[in-house]
Amino acid sequence: MNETREDILNFLKTQGFLNKKTTLQENDSLSETGVIDSITLLQLIDFLEGKYNIEIPVEMITPENFDTLAGISQSVMKLKNG
Amino acid sequence: MAKAIHTCKKCVLDSATPGISINEDTGLCQFCEHFTPLSSEKKEEYRARMDSLLKFPSKEGKYDVIFALSGGVDSSYTLYRLKMEYPHLNILAVQFDNGFISDTALENAQKFCALTKSTCMRLSLDQNALQDTFSKAAHSIDAYPGAAKYRASDICNTCISIIKQKIIELAIATKAPFIVFAFSPGQTDAPFVTLTKPLLVWMRKLFDGNLKAMGVAERDAYLIDAHFIQSGSPEPEVTIIHPFLIWDYDKPKFKRECITLGWIDPDLKDHNSSNCLLNAFAIKNHLDKYHIHSYAYDLAALVRQGNMKREDALKKLIVNVSDDSIEEVQRKLNL
Repeated sequence: MNETREDILNFLKTQGFLNKKTTLQENDSLSETGVIDSITLLQLIDFLEGKYNIEIPVEMITPENFDTLAGISQSVMKLKNG
Repeated sequence: MAKAIHTCKKCVLDSATPGISINEDTGLCQFCEHFTPLSSEKKEEYRARMDSLLKFPSKEGKYDVIFALSGGVDSSYTLYRLKMEYPHLNILAVQFDNGFISDTALENAQKFCALTKSTCMRLSLDQNALQDTFSKAAHSIDAYPGAAKYRASDICNTCISIIKQKIIELAIATKAPFIVFAFSPGQTDAPFVTLTKPLLVWMRKLFDGNLKAMGVAERDAYLIDAHFIQSGSPEPEVTIIHPFLIWDYDKPKFKRECITLGWIDPDLKDHNSSNCLLNAFAIKNHLDKYHIHSYAYDLAALVRQGNMKREDALKKLIVNVSDDSIEEVQRKLNL
């Protein structure tokens, strides 16, 4: 879980989503803290699919699953483990 | 002593741009370092998927495709090619009137609608309110997240988001199964986006938040009508397609082909837009606020992907601040 969280944080930093000095807590809302908008959300989904070789069903793309580091990590783990 | 500015040796991004770092050992920016080109197998897979979607569109409404037509090169070419490859498609081409569309772009849009036998629609909103919104976007700081600042200027992000919201609304209202945007492969990564109800609700909420952060009080006119995505309404089935992630992207070739078909070059003195008079000002405003050229990321991606020559991209990054149109826009926006 921590590894997934680190991958996501690195991606957010290298792609300019997140200032390198910004810290993000597990349950901070990515949309409310200004990290993502509707287009960067799709970039994030695309990254996750490529990185973990998973297909994220569109019905799963909800704020509950993809608006926090904790939610994303759990969703990725769930999809990776089938 | 001033810090030396390094430009990525592969693309056009430089270390003077906030958030861009150039690796001293490789000479590459972080985007080029992590870049993986799209494989030919993947491209074929995308091609097959686009064929399977567009060859047999579900026939619930009058239109198969709602098409975002600006009248610029990319969208004019895409409309023409789409109709050539899928002649059975019934297309509603929508040109958004943001109050700054050049006369030539209006003429080009009508010409290409006639050429492709598409229904042409001009989408207009309250022009005074729109100008006030663009003015607020120009004054705003950090209304959009960090990554969005690389993608486009605050003004263009606002304009494009309004277009997206209203076109999605139109697709749902007319039961059109597809929306096509002619975004370049530098502007988007996803060839297909299926819009489900939760995603629509989220997209609406996110853009509403951006508008709110800019200080826009009357926001509903810019957002997808909430009635269309209410919990009780049927699940919308709309897929956005970005053909330039599937077709090869060669803008000079598209321009030549469009001119052969009657497209007129508006000669706006803006290297980056052939349709919008607001664009040059939007670029300057973004540079002044964030020190980011709003086309740099897009052009850098095109160079990285092999879709544009590096020297051509560098030429496009020269800002013509003496352009008279910038003053005209400032006057119109009361800035």
